[in-house]
Amino acid sequence: MSGEEEENAAELKIGDEFLKAKCLMNCEVSFILEHKYEQLRHMSEDPLNQVSQVFEKSLQYVKRFSRYKNPDAVRQVREILSRYQLTEFELCVLGNLCPETVEEAIAMVPSMKTKGRGLDEEAIEKMLNDLSLIKTFE
Amino acid sequence: MYLKVKLPWNVIIPAENLDQKGLILQRSIIIRLLDDFACRKATKDLGYYLAVSSLECIGEGKVRQYSGDVLFPVVFNGVTFKLFRGEILEGVVHKVLKHGVFLRCGPVENVYLSHLKMPDYKYVPGENPVFMNDKLSKIGKDVSARFIVIGTKRLEADREFQVLVSLEGDFLGPIS
Repeated sequence: MSGEEEENAAELKIGDEFLKAKCLMNCEVSFILEHKYEQLRHMSEDPLNQVSQVFEKSLQYVKRFSRYKNPDAVRQVREILSRYQLTEFELCVLGNLCPETVEEAIAMVPSMKTKGRGLDEEAIEKMLNDLSLIKTFE
Repeated sequence: MYLKVKLPWNVIIPAENLDQKGLILQRSIIIRLLDDFACRKATKDLGYYLAVSSLECIGEGKVRQYSGDVLFPVVFNGVTFKLFRGEILEGVVHKVLKHGVFLRCGPVENVYLSHLKMPDYKYVPGENPVFMNDKLSKIGKDVSARFIVIGTKRLEADREFQVLVSLEGDFLGPIS
């Protein structure tokens, strides 16, 4: 099993290139893949033949595990989460798992609680409240 | 985690695909790239190759000495999927065995959750075997569960990843 550099996402030890990488939430990937699939549908009679297994399985997965279905809602989620000092990785984990309490949020993204982050429980609570408003209007 | 990546790539166009004037349409390069990409499946660093979003740029073509093929260095934007140790995600159970279950997560089929990593769950044999705990919570086929990744291994031969996960932790387990 790979333990090189002691990778640990819970502590944001995922490698410099990934800390700076752009991550995508399941709901965002869902739109990208569906759009691609539509493009293929217009180009060929058998679009499923044109896509790889990786594409197909991913499309099934993100459709099932997207918490937000509306494109505006998805944009808002990213916008709200971007206001807090989170890395892209943390932002997407939160957007994917939609924790309901501060306790749950910290369990899902323990790196938020690292010293000097400036993300206290009050800030996390506010973040979750803002997110829950989007769900209500979805 | 799904990643948006910017990748350099060498697209090789065989000599017979050149038109009369020895020109390549941008389209041929893109199609070639998509084919190469689809065959790649997964790499150790970036995980599973999912889709090409757009082409950033195409460099100058270089004719390869012995084959007459033309090599075009390109940079493209794409989406990949990679599982990180310590990451928490959700997946669906698709196989139940005596010692654990296999889940599907993203494009990965071999996400293994051992019974040793399912605290308080016990195997219940039968036509539709499940793992069940005292509170009658079930982990069986088609059940969605939230887990933490404890290890990943790249299988060179199959160009796939094998992933070990656990339910040990708060807020992990089957989800409705």
